Amino acid sequence: MTAPFLVARNIAKRFGALTALADVDLEIRPGEVLALLGDNGAGKSTFIKILAGAHPPSDGELLIEGKAVAFASPKDAAASGIATIFQELALSENLSIAENVFLGRELKRSIFGIPFLKRAEMRQRVDGLLQELDAHISDPEAPVGSLSGGQRQAVAICRALNLNARLVIMDEPTAALAVAETRKVLALTRRLAGRGCAVVLISHNISEVFEVADRIVVFRRGRKVAERLAAETNHEEVVSLITGAHPDVRALEKTN
Amino acid sequence: MSAVRQSGSGVFSMNGREWSLLVACLLAIAIFSVASPHYATPGNAVTVLRNSVELLLIGLGMTLLLAMGGIDVSIGIVMGLAAIAIGRIVGADGSPFVALVAGPLVGALLGCVTAAVVVLGRVPAIVGTLGLLGVYRTAVFALLGGQWLSGLPSSLTDLLATTVLGIPVPALVIAVAYLTVWLALRRTPYGLHLLAIGNSEEKARLSGIPVIKVRFLTFVISGVLTGIAATFYVATYRNVEMSIGSTSALDAIAAVILGGTSILGGRCSLLGTVLGVLLLRILQNGLLLIGVPSLWQPVVTGVLVIGVLGFEAVSNRLPLTRFQRARA
Repeated sequence: MTAPFLVARNIAKRFGALTALADVDLEIRPGEVLALLGDNGAGKSTFIKILAGAHPPSDGELLIEGKAVAFASPKDAAASGIATIFQELALSENLSIAENVFLGRELKRSIFGIPFLKRAEMRQRVDGLLQELDAHISDPEAPVGSLSGGQRQAVAICRALNLNARLVIMDEPTAALAVAETRKVLALTRRLAGRGCAVVLISHNISEVFEVADRIVVFRRGRKVAERLAAETNHEEVVSLITGAHPDVRALEKTN
Repeated sequence: MSAVRQSGSGVFSMNGREWSLLVACLLAIAIFSVASPHYATPGNAVTVLRNSVELLLIGLGMTLLLAMGGIDVSIGIVMGLAAIAIGRIVGADGSPFVALVAGPLVGALLGCVTAAVVVLGRVPAIVGTLGLLGVYRTAVFALLGGQWLSGLPSSLTDLLATTVLGIPVPALVIAVAYLTVWLALRRTPYGLHLLAIGNSEEKARLSGIPVIKVRFLTFVISGVLTGIAATFYVATYRNVEMSIGSTSALDAIAAVILGGTSILGGRCSLLGTVLGVLLLRILQNGLLLIGVPSLWQPVVTGVLVIGVLGFEAVSNRLPLTRFQRARA
């Protein structure tokens, strides 16, 4: 088994008197799709916001490749190789695919001290990424506003890859997609892991999770209540873990 | 959406809107030529072009501002303040070269003031510049003491009426300004960032774009272009009147919107702005020559803007445009 890219130890998050997250231990490995499941308010979003640098944890520590890190902002997390693709994609509809992939980190050459865009080079790089992801987008010059929801997810994934992300967090990437589009995004997710990226996937759709995830972690009431290899569990067990009907969860909740 | 790509692909490549503007210009010229015997003369053509110089420069800056989701309704009076500075230097028999520097410099300074209010102070651009408009209008009145700054010597005029390699200096300056702004907008990270901010400031920030810096710089660029416009104004008219620039903001915003730049930001056309300016000036000049009092000029401009925006609003509400089908 490969060494984990990220280790979370005893992560807790309190908002005033409210404990949103407590004692979360988690390992995220390269090349693996890890699914986070749980009801609304289970703490999934809080947890990924901590990973993304959007919230500092109240307790516990994050280790990246064995070294402790503290993120003051999403920029810090990005610098450590963590890219988050939020449900509401932060893409500019009026700009082209290539421009979006490089936005904020353009390739440029300096002529008389003025930075000019290396447009051909950016287009080529994006073309390569799109082909590698088998994203079925032929023209990197097309404006993102003309793309379907699934294609936009692909652009967001390209953007993450281009930032040399080692861990990509996807927050319900298929929530707003039609069936065929969902298939494509799930395939993309697998390919992302195939490239050696660690992927954290948040989803409400359990059959979808079984289709792509290697490991499944269930959150409930701010705690991690279960961790299973996808191959060693099934739909019913996962549902009972989420709802709290599973004996393990009951036992855990009694002791707490 | 294809307009975005075509405008970006070449310095002078045309999209549908730009072709329609060109046709509108030619149509207006044809109609006025028939209606007035004084219209179709070389002298009048020069007059129309001459009258377009300041508005072209201001319009380029206004295009950037609108594309960024900003606006500046005080731009005409900024030109007035810069013109007063230039006029004072020329009037005191100062070097016309000093006057050349003074215009862009005063414009840049006032651009910084606008940016300080709108960008750093987080006052919505329309409100912030409206407030500055009030302040500056009174400043112009106080500086001029209720009188015209008139009878200026011709030093600056002589300097700018020359030709370089057979090309008149104003045409050269406009060509350089157009190319510079086009390059900045379509070939540098700055232009990309500006358009991203125009699309959504929040998304631009999430993408790691220095939003404050880009917005501040754009107000300064618009100020500099307006300062250059003021230089040509003083050189041409050799006086500064109390009401200077009172229709410039309306004219500039009208030309930019006619040209196909989105009032909501994120999409713009520099060539469209140039054609929009020419159409406005052709209409204003032509109406004057067929005997419509100049008092009606702002009415024509205003109706054109409202017409174009109204038309766009209605066509956006129609269900199946090609763009929307492509998105679905």
